[in-house]
Amino acid sequence: MSAATAPASAPPAAGGPTGWVRRHRAALVVAAFVLLALGVALLTRGEQGNTTPYDPANAGEDGARAVARVLAEEGVDVETARSADELAEAGAGAGTAVVVTSADELGESTVDRLRDDTRGARLVVVDPGPELLRLLDRPGSPGSVDGGDPIEAGCDDPLFGDLRIEVDQAGAMPGSGCFADTLVTTGDLTLLGAPQLLTNDQVLRADNAAVALRLLGQDERLVWYVPSYADLVGDDGVGLRSLLPGWVLPGVWVLGLAGLALVLWRGRRLGPLAIEPLPVVVRAIETTRSRGRLYRRSGDRAHAAATLRAATRARVRARMRLGTAEETTLVRDVARHVGRTEAEVGDLLGSTGRVPGSDRDLISLANALAALEEEVRRS
Amino acid sequence: MAITGRVPLLVLLGLVAVVLRPGAGTVWLWLLLVLLLGLADWLLAPRPAALTFVRRPVGTVRQGHPAQAVLVVANPTGRTMRGVVRDAWQPTAGATGDRHRLRLGPGDRAALVTRLQPVRRGELRALGVTVRLPGPLGLVARQRTVDVAGSVRSLPPFDSRKHLPSRLARLRDLDGRAAVRVRGQGTEFDSLREYVRGDDVRSIDWRASARTSNVVVRTWQPERDRRVVLVLDTSRTSAGRVDDVPRLDSAMDAALLLAALAARAGDRVDFVAGDRRVRSRLRSAGVRQVSADLQDAMAELEPVIAEADWDALAGAVQGFGRQRALVVLLTPLEPSAVEEGLLPVLPVLTRHHRVVLASVRDPALDRLATTRTTLEEVYDAAAAEHAGQRRRRTADLLTRLGVDVVDAEADRLPPALADHYLSLKARGLL
Repeated sequence: MSAATAPASAPPAAGGPTGWVRRHRAALVVAAFVLLALGVALLTRGEQGNTTPYDPANAGEDGARAVARVLAEEGVDVETARSADELAEAGAGAGTAVVVTSADELGESTVDRLRDDTRGARLVVVDPGPELLRLLDRPGSPGSVDGGDPIEAGCDDPLFGDLRIEVDQAGAMPGSGCFADTLVTTGDLTLLGAPQLLTNDQVLRADNAAVALRLLGQDERLVWYVPSYADLVGDDGVGLRSLLPGWVLPGVWVLGLAGLALVLWRGRRLGPLAIEPLPVVVRAIETTRSRGRLYRRSGDRAHAAATLRAATRARVRARMRLGTAEETTLVRDVARHVGRTEAEVGDLLGSTGRVPGSDRDLISLANALAALEEEVRRS
Repeated sequence: MAITGRVPLLVLLGLVAVVLRPGAGTVWLWLLLVLLLGLADWLLAPRPAALTFVRRPVGTVRQGHPAQAVLVVANPTGRTMRGVVRDAWQPTAGATGDRHRLRLGPGDRAALVTRLQPVRRGELRALGVTVRLPGPLGLVARQRTVDVAGSVRSLPPFDSRKHLPSRLARLRDLDGRAAVRVRGQGTEFDSLREYVRGDDVRSIDWRASARTSNVVVRTWQPERDRRVVLVLDTSRTSAGRVDDVPRLDSAMDAALLLAALAARAGDRVDFVAGDRRVRSRLRSAGVRQVSADLQDAMAELEPVIAEADWDALAGAVQGFGRQRALVVLLTPLEPSAVEEGLLPVLPVLTRHHRVVLASVRDPALDRLATTRTTLEEVYDAAAAEHAGQRRRRTADLLTRLGVDVVDAEADRLPPALADHYLSLKARGLL
């Protein structure tokens, strides 16, 4: 190729950044999106605080930090326990109130520990579910209460007698109590079915704040317990079976039986297997191969070399029509024929040739013999 | 007994019952219901034993060619029989469409046709007729397998048939040729005709030429009414496979071509096959019959893992008659087997007959000898060379004893053997 044609044959887009950008456009777009997503994630991460509903440290709409702060300012000693162990350390007893939020995360074992660790204390459970009610020996499920409108106390409890609450959603607890049964007190246990009156967002509606403070501020000390799933042990909590409809398990049995019938249906053959009286299969080359393996196992290079040489001699003899000539004559004629020295051909071909000292030598001897044969055939 | 696809469906219907009335008891009740229905259906199902079967003979067919197996089913009972019939054959019979729907009214009969296409030589057998008759609900069927004997005789394919026309043409060329160089025992005087350039001057009949103004030559007819004896070795060495075809099958192919050719040339063809003992023996019948008879005789021959008893085979050859014959030994040129078994009896044969040994050569041996890249291959090559040398030595030995050796690869052997026969015939050496 001449120098003048070389630049012309180069692809036009090979140099220059624009060409590179065009070729990697898709990759660049993907990379930009990934960077953007990473940036957004980093920026928003800092804004995440405590988001657990009704948590005393949650300053969001559904948090309860306002109530906790006010209680602390009013002189109540507010402690937060975030695990069963912390609750046990808090040592709640007589003269202490324990409020339980995130009650969904309580299981059988944590309820037992809760009962043991708060013996003598006043216990307020916020928004318990049906399973927890059963564990607390108040079986039943929360009924519905119309939210949105103020609810009169409607009970003769002196603490709440003149108050009204107003929340978006509420649920009636089993038993009878105040505020359309959303606040039921039996002995030391109080069930609160209108948890939203504790939230920062709704605490200022109607008399929510007063109800919250009167409910939680009766004692000098308040332990705010936020249970965690991590404290559950073994087969605690809710089993899968209790959540499924009753017919599912027998249905699985029916499916299994149908599967068994399917196997029996497809597995039954229409008559016995057709059998073939097979003939003897012997590969004709088998014995030769085994002989080769035998040579190899015994490592008899001398014998293998002698055999290869003899075979080549026989073929060359036939090729050059030398009949039953002496070996020296053969070597001389072959050397003259292919233009090599007599000593070289004698060493390669003769029965007195060198015995290969290693496997590598044997392989090269075999190939040299084949090459010699080819030379004789060509010339 | 066999269940149908309706049973799992019926069991599955139990899901409805379980949804309506959850509980383990419903499952058991439903299962009981299904079992009771199944039992009732089984009891009501017709009995397959009542059907009668007759098989029409299939006869013979050349390997690879289609045939039909006809099975006649009769229903002598007063009930209508519905169900499935399977006419099972051994796999190499190549049966397709062997499952038949059955619907027989009282006293009806039907012919069920199964297509066969044998892929193997020999007597291929039917394995049994299986009948499955479901009950009125179609849930459970009675099933029974009856042995109805039957077989198809699959003849050797005779692939070398394609070489026959060209060899027959060469045979005709021999006819009436003037220049039969060596006039053997069997060459017969045919006629006199005018000399044309190219004729052998030795065949000029001077006495006849003297009587006319032209030079006259004698023409000769190739010898006729010779005997050819084909000896097929079915011993262990014939079981060896060359490119997955047993040597025996290749040898049969060669024998069939030679027999067809020799029969057209007016020679008599006898055949004997055996290993430890004589397995098959055939005296020549009519000219046209030879191929068919031979194929039939060969159909059931299989290699046996035993050493050939050449004494017995040579005895069988002598048993065909004392007339001089061309004896073709179709046996692999296996040095040890030949030296130990065949050599001792060869003088008996060569004294009375012309002997030819036709052997299938294994091309894998040459491949093995020329591949020399790894150590393993070099040792294999040495072993192959060793085997090749022994073969050559054995062939030389046989040649010295007056035996012609035709050693060729499987597809070349039939034409090579036929050519050798033609050359013997041309030289009047039969």
